Amino acid sequence: MEVGAGEVFGFLGPNGAGKTTTIRTLLDLLRPTSGAARVFGLDSRRDSVAIHARLGNLPGEFAADPRLSGRELVAHFAELRGVRGLGRADVLAERFEADMERPLGELSRGNRQKIGLIQAAFHEPDLLLFDEPTSGLDPLMQEEFLAFVAEEREAGRTVFLSSHELDEVERACDRVGIIREGRLVAVEDVADITGRAFRHVTLEFAGPVDPFEFGGIPGVSELEPRGNRLSFKAAGDLDRIVKTAARHTVTDIELTRPTLEEIFLTYYGRNGGA
Amino acid sequence: MSVATRTRPPRAIAAAPSGARTLRAVVRRGLRDNRRAPLTWGGSLGLMSAMMAALWPVIEDSMDELMNSYPEGLKEAFNIAELDSVEAYVDAEMLSLIVPLAIAFLAVRIAARAISGAEERGYLDTLLAAPVARHVLVAGAFLVSAIVVVEVLVVITVSTWLAGWVVGAEPSLAVLGRGYANVWPLALLSGGLALLAAGVLRRAATVTAVAVGTLVAMYVIDLVGKLADPIEPLRSVSAFKYYGSAVRDGIDPLAFAGLALAGAVLAAAGALLFDRRDVR
Repeated sequence: MEVGAGEVFGFLGPNGAGKTTTIRTLLDLLRPTSGAARVFGLDSRRDSVAIHARLGNLPGEFAADPRLSGRELVAHFAELRGVRGLGRADVLAERFEADMERPLGELSRGNRQKIGLIQAAFHEPDLLLFDEPTSGLDPLMQEEFLAFVAEEREAGRTVFLSSHELDEVERACDRVGIIREGRLVAVEDVADITGRAFRHVTLEFAGPVDPFEFGGIPGVSELEPRGNRLSFKAAGDLDRIVKTAARHTVTDIELTRPTLEEIFLTYYGRNGGA
Repeated sequence: MSVATRTRPPRAIAAAPSGARTLRAVVRRGLRDNRRAPLTWGGSLGLMSAMMAALWPVIEDSMDELMNSYPEGLKEAFNIAELDSVEAYVDAEMLSLIVPLAIAFLAVRIAARAISGAEERGYLDTLLAAPVARHVLVAGAFLVSAIVVVEVLVVITVSTWLAGWVVGAEPSLAVLGRGYANVWPLALLSGGLALLAAGVLRRAATVTAVAVGTLVAMYVIDLVGKLADPIEPLRSVSAFKYYGSAVRDGIDPLAFAGLALAGAVLAAAGALLFDRRDVR
């Protein structure tokens, strides 16, 4: 697997699949039992200090000395990185509404995560490693984070983002690597993944509807009528479904994305084989 | 799995900060983290030591009687010679057991918290993603423990000297100073032991237990070795054999340098082990 400069690469997999282990191997926190990882063309173990000088990392469970304020933490990392001042830390703090003055131990998980994000990005690194970065952030901040990632891409930076949220990866990334049970099972463009993904659809009508009207639509499967409600899976274009439903009085529509596990089962089979 | 990010021109590689710069940053942070130690550790041990010095004029006249009441073995085991001065009294009461063990524990605690404590709290994940080599972290922890111990020993020495002067015992700052300075290499050895353990173990409590357990074992070997001839040869593996009494005999430069060097060697071995293991 190779990630290009200036690319936003999503690393997708259910909890426990090996996303964090991969990132920790790239960071030389874990040593591979076999194989090798290279970052910027350098060996992740032998050249770890040179690599770390050019990257920023936000761990999934960001932790730092709770007695330190965000400002003190960033100042320490600026000193370690040889950065004068605090770089763009204050700009990021304003953007993410982060409190840089209070001790980290007094901040909520989401607010600590914001400090972690600032710590990872204040020095404008060439590569940003984000491990489940939006966990703990409220929806507005999640949106702001995704906008930030898009701007980093525009600025030519590489972002390696691990997530178990398909939506997040779909919106932020160019390509996606899918990992399952410690093995990389696919590397695809985001459009290919989402194009192949299905949705759970539930329609509720004012009166009874013949399910066979929907059964003949390409991409519809697993029809399940229940009174005036009709549930099914829909893959691909939803246009015919909407038009068919529009012949009746629709009282409610529910569309849900499949879970990652469902996508894996659909595309890679129960045994995980591609 | 092999993961690669295509190379850009290596402009930032040259910008990787030097080991000396990161070491300075690590030490500065460590000193800030331990900035209260001179007050808490130095203050409490200094108060205790000052009380001993302040008591001297009151008990001075009964010392001969007290000395005669001690069994010879006990005097030998605890390095108690003539209690004929305030410095000798402070040496017997503070420097034979309490201060060496307390300061050794402080050095172990600082070193264990800097590596294994940071690891178990998850701080190392963030710290080691910065351009900081693992051996720099270990060296930083060793230096921080060495500097903090100096600060604490200075506070204890000055408190004791001041108390002695206030009550008219007129202790010698030089003699007290050399007595307390002699604890420093023992602390370095203790810090080195903790860093050696941290090179393998991931829990600060376990590292502390192993290092303190080793120190206590060395102390007991030295103590029993003084009293029982068959055990005497074993004393050479105990750091306390080389500790002696600097108040009475002055600092033994060879023992002083030897203990300090042993501490540095243990810390270096810890750095090698830490560099070879996973950080979890």
